[in-house]
Parts: sequence; structure tokens; C-alpha cells
Amino acid sequence: MFNYTFQWRQALQKLPLLLDGALVTLQIALLSMAMGIAFAVVLAVARNAKSRWASAPASAWIEVSRNTPALFQIYMAHFGLGSFGIYLSPYVALLAGITFNNAGYLAETFRGALRAIPGTQMRAARSLGMTSIQAFRLIIMPQMFRIAFLPTTNQMVWAILMTSLGVTVGMNSDLAGVTQDINVRSFRTFEIFAIAAVIYYLIAKAVTLGARLLASRLFRY
Amino acid sequence: MKTTIILGSLLAATGLGTSASADKLDDIMASGTLRCAVVLDFPPMGSRDADNNPIGFDVDYCNDLAAALGVTAEIVETPFPDRIPALVSGRVDVGVASTSDTLERAKTVGFTIPYFAFTNVVLTREGAGIEKFEDMSGKTVGSVSGTFEGIKLEENIKEWGAGEFRPYQSQADVFLALSQGQIDATVVTSTVASAIVASGQYEGLLIKGDAPYPVDYVGLIALRQEYGMLNYLDLFINQQVRSGRYQELYDKWVGGAAPKLTIDNVYR
Repeated sequence: MFNYTFQWRQALQKLPLLLDGALVTLQIALLSMAMGIAFAVVLAVARNAKSRWASAPASAWIEVSRNTPALFQIYMAHFGLGSFGIYLSPYVALLAGITFNNAGYLAETFRGALRAIPGTQMRAARSLGMTSIQAFRLIIMPQMFRIAFLPTTNQMVWAILMTSLGVTVGMNSDLAGVTQDINVRSFRTFEIFAIAAVIYYLIAKAVTLGARLLASRLFRY
Repeated sequence: MKTTIILGSLLAATGLGTSASADKLDDIMASGTLRCAVVLDFPPMGSRDADNNPIGFDVDYCNDLAAALGVTAEIVETPFPDRIPALVSGRVDVGVASTSDTLERAKTVGFTIPYFAFTNVVLTREGAGIEKFEDMSGKTVGSVSGTFEGIKLEENIKEWGAGEFRPYQSQADVFLALSQGQIDATVVTSTVASAIVASGQYEGLLIKGDAPYPVDYVGLIALRQEYGMLNYLDLFINQQVRSGRYQELYDKWVGGAAPKLTIDNVYR
């Protein structure tokens, strides 16, 4: 039986604090996605490269980031590097961990998208006099982003939810950190967690809808 | 037909119907098991020995309580921030988990009279440049999320307007962060500080004086509406002191004169 009386009024008084935390969460998610996409493009190209020197490090990054828990990656960024005297603040460690994770997953998404683009496009672009970099930037990459767009928004939602792992490295300004802080002070666990869950849901939903709108403008045929 | 109704109402009126009104204390005695939430990374109150068995003051306290109730004790390892969810979701019956009895928390859970009292000290690292409490102003400090001293220290950092506070999820993470240099100091209960310095598990940790906080009285916790249970726990704590068992456990785990559990000039 559930021996608990919900006190919503007491919990809702903390809403402004939670919303401040939500902004930090959104900020980390957006930054980690922006950096993750940049790294992922490089990783995707490097993994397909003929040179071992390019493909091996890219493969290692992708393998580790996709096959270990995000919690482990974030913990390592804070305490793992800390044991070598490299101190990342909780904010930076969280950002680094999620970026690392995003880059690995997105690299595979982009690699798949690259495979879906017929090789003849590159040859056609080159025969029109474009350099290989121009051809990649102007012809291949826009198509890659179009194909990979929906999986990318998926990763964005995942990035938002991953920010909640920051509490393990002492993060106290994001939504999960603020939630935990209020929880331990008031012990109103269920109300506070329920409100936080709704906020997470709304952020994720808003991002997905925003991405749809963006896609319909960007990728019109 | 008529007999079954009569039989049914008789049963309901007597023994078999009591389960509906049985309180927590009845449930514990009926089940034969007392489940205690204990924090096991908080020596000497709770930790694990070389064979991974739970040991510590709180573990012994739970065993004593179970013995008094005539049931077996079950130690449920519970991190600090999870004490209330564990209690409310019915995973444990009582929290023997060094819980500071703040008024804010008492709105949610029921506290007994104090069963232990902590004083807090500044724990720092060699070369961090901290000699006393006030030196922490402007430094990066940390503590366990949700502890009495953690909440106080966060307030101090806000007051000073200089420095940074980091809440970690466990005491072990705080010591790890301190020994690595991620944070420069922490405020921690004196018992825990001496235990961790004495263990030699982390190098270069130093105790640098008291933190000017009021004595941190901690109570056992149970569900707020379980008066029968809370009443029993209060009496149990009283008996532990009266019988000398409190001092005995203090000698075993900490040493010295056990802290006084009463406050002058006021009841309870």
C-alpha cells in the first residue's frame, strides 16, 4: 500500500527553481548536440577513410561511446580524468560525456546516411569541376543531413534525458540536480520527481516538434 | 445462507478482521522481519567489512531494535537521498540512517527523539591552503547531497558569495573528489572524518577544526502516521541510553563519552 499523502502546493512552490534547472538542461543538450554533430561528421568520414591512421581512432571512439553506458562515460570524465590530475567541473564533465556519446552514435547514423547516397553523385559533382571538398560540402553533406535528420532528433531527445546523469558527478544546477536538491531538503520525493518528469517530457516534446518544423523548411524538395 | 453471513460477520468482528486495522508495529511482529534502511558508506555508522557484511553503529542499533521486537533484522542498504523513497514505498520499515531532524523534513516523515548527535569538522587535503572553517570561502567545496552538513555548507557558500558547492551522491564520491583535488574541502561529521583519516584509504586528508554548526541531532525515521511505531522507537531509544547500551555501542564504534542526546531548557 502507498502510505503517502501528496502535497502539490508545497512542491509547486519550487517550480521557478525547477524551470531554471530546465534551462541549464536545455543548454547542455543543445551544446552537446552542436559539438556532437561536428565531431560525428569528422568521425563518419574518418571511419570510411582508407588510411588506418584516420579510421582506427574514429572506430575506437565510436566503439567505446556506443558500447559503454553514458553514466560510465560521464563518471570517467569527472573522476577518471581527475585521477590523472585533469579536473573537469561537473558542468564540463557532463557536457564532455554527453558530447562524446552523441558523437559516437551520430557518426554511425551519418555513416549510414552516407552509404545511402549513390556514389555517382560524387563523380558527377567532380566531373562538373568541383574539388572533392566542395563536392562533399555542397552535394553530399546536405543530403546526408536530410537522410539522417529524424535519427538525429532522436539523439537530441536522448541528450536531454542524459543530462540527468550529471547528479552522479555533483551537478546541481540542471533539472535533475535541482530536483535532487529540493528532494533531499523537503523529502517530497514523489511530487518533485513527478513535476520534473513532466518538465522533461515537455522539453523533449518541444524539441521534437521544433525539429519537425525546421525540417519542413530546410528539406523542401 | 444465513449461517455464512453470521459466520462472516463473526470472523470480521474478531481475529481475522484485524489485518485491516493492524499498524506497522503489528505488521513487523507478524512478519518476523524488521527491515532497516542503513547508509553503508558512512563509517563508523554504516559500512561493510572485508567479507562485505554490513557493520557499524547503525547496523548494531537495528539489530538491537529487532531483538527488542523479537524479530530478525534485515539491513537494506540505502544511499542518503533514497531514504524517504525507501520508507514510503514500503521497502523498509524504519530508517536507522543518521537522519537530521529538520522541520522541513518532518512535514513528510515522522522523526523519533534523537538517537545520536554529530558535531561537524572541516576535512581538507594537504596543500589546499585551508586552516580553518572561514578559509573555505572562495574555494570549491563539496558534500553529500541531502546531509545536514551538506545543506549548511551550500548555504555558507551562498552567503560568502565566493566559491562553489558540489553535492555528490555518496560519501565515497566526496572523499574521492577531495583526494583527487576536484574539491578543496568538505564539512563532515567528526566521527566519519576520524574514521576515514584513520583508515588511510585516501592519502593526505587532514581535519582542520570544527565547523560552527549547531549540534546535528539525528533521529530514526518511520512513516509520519505510524504513531504506534514512532512511540515504540522513542521508548527504545530511551532504553538504549538507560541500559548503557548506547555508551557501549559508542565505545565500540567511536570511543570516548557518547554525546548527550537532550537539549537544555526544553522538553523532547
